[in-house]
Amino acid sequence: MKRLLFALCVVLMTSTCFADKVNGVLSEDRVVNLPNDQGKWYVSVVGNANDAQYQTILKWFSQDIPLRKLKAQVHFCPVKSFSSTYEARYAANVKGLPTVRLQNHQGVVIYEAAGKNLPFTPQGLYGALAGSVSKAQRIPILPWRRNHARPCPRPGPCPTPTPGPPDFNLDPEPQPIDDGKAPDFDEAPVQSSLPPLWLMLATLVVSAGAGLAVEWKDIYAKK
Amino acid sequence: MKRLFVALVLCISLTGCEGDFNQLNPIQPKKPTVNAERPLVNIPMALRQENWIGNQREGSCVHATMISLMRWQGRTHLANKWKRTYANGEWPEGLASKFDREGVRYAYTDKGDVRFLEWASRTRRGCGITVMGGAHMVALVHLDDKWACLLDNNSISKYKWVSREAVIAEWKASHGWAVTPIYTPAAPKPQ
Repeated sequence: MKRLLFALCVVLMTSTCFADKVNGVLSEDRVVNLPNDQGKWYVSVVGNANDAQYQTILKWFSQDIPLRKLKAQVHFCPVKSFSSTYEARYAANVKGLPTVRLQNHQGVVIYEAAGKNLPFTPQGLYGALAGSVSKAQRIPILPWRRNHARPCPRPGPCPTPTPGPPDFNLDPEPQPIDDGKAPDFDEAPVQSSLPPLWLMLATLVVSAGAGLAVEWKDIYAKK
Repeated sequence: MKRLFVALVLCISLTGCEGDFNQLNPIQPKKPTVNAERPLVNIPMALRQENWIGNQREGSCVHATMISLMRWQGRTHLANKWKRTYANGEWPEGLASKFDREGVRYAYTDKGDVRFLEWASRTRRGCGITVMGGAHMVALVHLDDKWACLLDNNSISKYKWVSREAVIAEWKASHGWAVTPIYTPAAPKPQ
């Protein structure tokens, strides 16, 4: 009987140990990964909800692929004028409506344009945003990649007609939860601060030639 | 011939010096002085939800705090719906089931894990924290290595700055429950 009891105890202990190891922590904690997105940048699109230009820009951010990709990488904040958020945080510092503003995670404005100064195509807006970012980060585009930066314009697909105005009584689609950082632009269509490659080579050849000529003169003119 | 060679090398090495100088010794542009907004979660007055008495004669501090945070995170319509639908006292499981029912994205701790508060402040979302032995919830709108800032739904007109240690001690002595929705925080004021 003693041996049976001992064996039972051993079995129970072993099974408890294994349960602990197999199941991990035996509490009811729900483990979640909180998004460490404090490094994400912010894009604010500010405007009057009834303004066609504002609606168009919002549409660009959901339909144009590069802008949609950018939207997923930043904290995207559509702000309607006359809202409390607008009154408290934008009214005093926007130059006009609609406004598109890109800020880094510290709030430093990297790009801002309003009203007529806004590009009138989604490609233009993306280019302007990308250009501002690369300027801020001081990343020159390599000369041989410049032609890739601005693709030739091609006729776009016909826009799908929407049955009515968008429903402004709904909150925007929630953004993906991820660990964010500064947005990653595909191409930055800005002028490089470096001179073109051919100019650098030409300068090298001319300088070398001049040096040779001077030396030639020094050596043979004396003779 | 030697002199010619030296001259050639000199010429080649000096070519383009001017162009490269800025790259070798970059002149750093004056970095703009960034004065981070304080508190980090600077909820506009009009978005702050005051506490109210529910139909069971209980205060609705948890719901009021969540509504303020939802508005700060751009979920105005969700916040308005929440105000119309829910009231009275709340506890972690009850709120979690309501969030699940409404499809709200949220995170919480009821174990007094300070890392949760630091995360909520760092990501500018803020969170509700229990105080007064668990009888009340306020919004934690800032937490740094010295200070914490609270927005009490019983007195929404002003922030209350308290030492970090005092807030953490109060919170841990009040069941250590902290909760927040997870959406997009309002953009910082331009610097």
